[in-house]
Amino acid sequence: MPELAISTRGLRKTYRTRLGRKVVAVQGLDLDVPIGGVHGFLGPNGSGKTTSIRMLLGLIRADAGSMTVFGRPVPAQLPDVVGRVGAIVESPKFFPAFSGRKNLELLAEAIGAPRKRVGEVLEQTSLGERGKDRYKAYSLGMKQRLAIAATLLKEPDLLIFDEPTNGLDPAGIREIRETMRGLGDQGRTVLVSSHILAEVEQVADTVSIIGHGRLLASGTVAEVIGGSTAGTVKVAVDNHEAATRILTAAGMTVRADGNYLLVDGAEHPADVTRRLAQQELYVSELVPVRADLESVFLELTAGEGL
Amino acid sequence: MIRLTGVELRRLTARRLTVIGVLAVLVITAFLLFALWRESQPLSAEEQRAAQTQFEQAHKNWVEHGKEDQARCEEDWRTQPEPKPAMEEMCNFREPTVDDFGKPRTVFAEVMPDMLLGSSYLLVFAAFLIGASFVGAEFSTGAIGNWLTFEPRRLRVYGSKVLAAAIGLAPVAAVVLAIVLLGAYLIVDQLGDTANTTGKVWGDLTATGGRAVLLTALGASIGGVVGSLLRHTAAAIGVVMAYLVLIEGVFAGFLNKAQPWLVKTNFDAFVRHDTKYYVNECSSSSDGGYLCNTIEKTLSFEHGAWYLGILAAVLIVVGGAVFYRRDVNS
Repeated sequence: MPELAISTRGLRKTYRTRLGRKVVAVQGLDLDVPIGGVHGFLGPNGSGKTTSIRMLLGLIRADAGSMTVFGRPVPAQLPDVVGRVGAIVESPKFFPAFSGRKNLELLAEAIGAPRKRVGEVLEQTSLGERGKDRYKAYSLGMKQRLAIAATLLKEPDLLIFDEPTNGLDPAGIREIRETMRGLGDQGRTVLVSSHILAEVEQVADTVSIIGHGRLLASGTVAEVIGGSTAGTVKVAVDNHEAATRILTAAGMTVRADGNYLLVDGAEHPADVTRRLAQQELYVSELVPVRADLESVFLELTAGEGL
Repeated sequence: MIRLTGVELRRLTARRLTVIGVLAVLVITAFLLFALWRESQPLSAEEQRAAQTQFEQAHKNWVEHGKEDQARCEEDWRTQPEPKPAMEEMCNFREPTVDDFGKPRTVFAEVMPDMLLGSSYLLVFAAFLIGASFVGAEFSTGAIGNWLTFEPRRLRVYGSKVLAAAIGLAPVAAVVLAIVLLGAYLIVDQLGDTANTTGKVWGDLTATGGRAVLLTALGASIGGVVGSLLRHTAAAIGVVMAYLVLIEGVFAGFLNKAQPWLVKTNFDAFVRHDTKYYVNECSSSSDGGYLCNTIEKTLSFEHGAWYLGILAAVLIVVGGAVFYRRDVNS
């Protein structure tokens, strides 16, 4: 088993509403995040992503289950590994009346980081010139960048970003995405939770999909996508009617899609060309249709009532 | 823990509310000294003449009717049913002196204990407010969650906040009380009487000030604890104000025998080194009537010290236990 940055087994958390009703936020979550690269932690709103992250960071207590961060059981040994973990949970939260720099200086002092590191991370996140402004005067994008700067104070091996692009404009989203990818490329582990799948698909190496607090799928992006599709191919052929008849007779499902046919159920794309060629119908174009993370996600969470 | 406390101390001193709170205390202190200055002003020549006239009339009346009034009063006293006040207390017709009329001179040793007690109320209230805001704001802004991702050892985090509040506000109290003491001395020295300000008086006043500093530090810590428990500055202040009005005010008014167990009485006993309080003791008289007397009682310094110490310890421990166990969802 490869070394893991994060591992949870049977993680469970139940809340009580104000009316005393029990709500299960996380139910038996088994999550593995490999060391290095970007890991997408996906799930619809209310699926238990933030609750799971909060449990990992010791902010809330798990009712049951176990968690490790870099092999250390948490929360018991969290103080031993917290120096290697930088996290932004939901929206960034700092002292609003202090400047960005002052906020970072306090955090740096708390962890014993040298003061010059504050200037470095402000520059790194393009906040050098606005560091002296009050935090409450920052735009949402700047707040998010300050939060990233705070996580970088520790020079962490694991970064946890919970919905990092919420409320950002397209430029801000791109900036955060590039930052995450850059950190992943440096060999750090980035866990990014999101419900915006296209965004995660662009940066993640591996993903875990959860629904109702349970793991629904996990693996590399290719594995997760590949595991859920049955090899749809898009075929261009002159005689649609004849081709449909031949392929249907071979047990495949055929649908028209403009000038193309969409064929499901072929064990291999070559089966399509072979069957048609045997009947002297020649394919001019054949493209395997690749499912995206969004379609996989919707397929997986369809029965979850989310 | 030391490093964390240092960070919290820097945060405390950088907060705008801390600066405003301290400035407000200094302004109110200046008003207190101004009030003392006004109070210590001698009477004008016209007021002195009026006082002298009143004295002469009263003295003349005493010479003419004093013995007669005394005898009548003693006669009345004898016929009163038990229980009754002491005769010396009821029939005190001593010879008036000129000092009984007009404005008495301000005596430093006499006014300072009350002035220090008043200043300590102000300081403890301000410290509580600053302490509650210092910690409560962290919860209301959600910054506590961020902080805990940097230092997850909650008891250290809690301890550093409570300690920083105390350490940060104690010097403020010391400076304010020093200003009150020295300012009042200079004013009274000019306008009143400081002749009997012996070394013992200074020692007692300094000890009173020291105890007020200690309570200010404790007030700041308790403010932090209540801010942490209620997670909002306004809620912390609201709860404490409600307690002061309902329990220390209304409830104590109905049940004055509960006074030894009120925060205010114990506060006074600790700061003043013993305090007096009054309870009504009522009983049926021999002629079938019902008589109530106001009895003066003393609450000891030791009682106050133990009471406040235990109360503070319980609050700090409960606050720590809740902070340790509570989910941080903001």
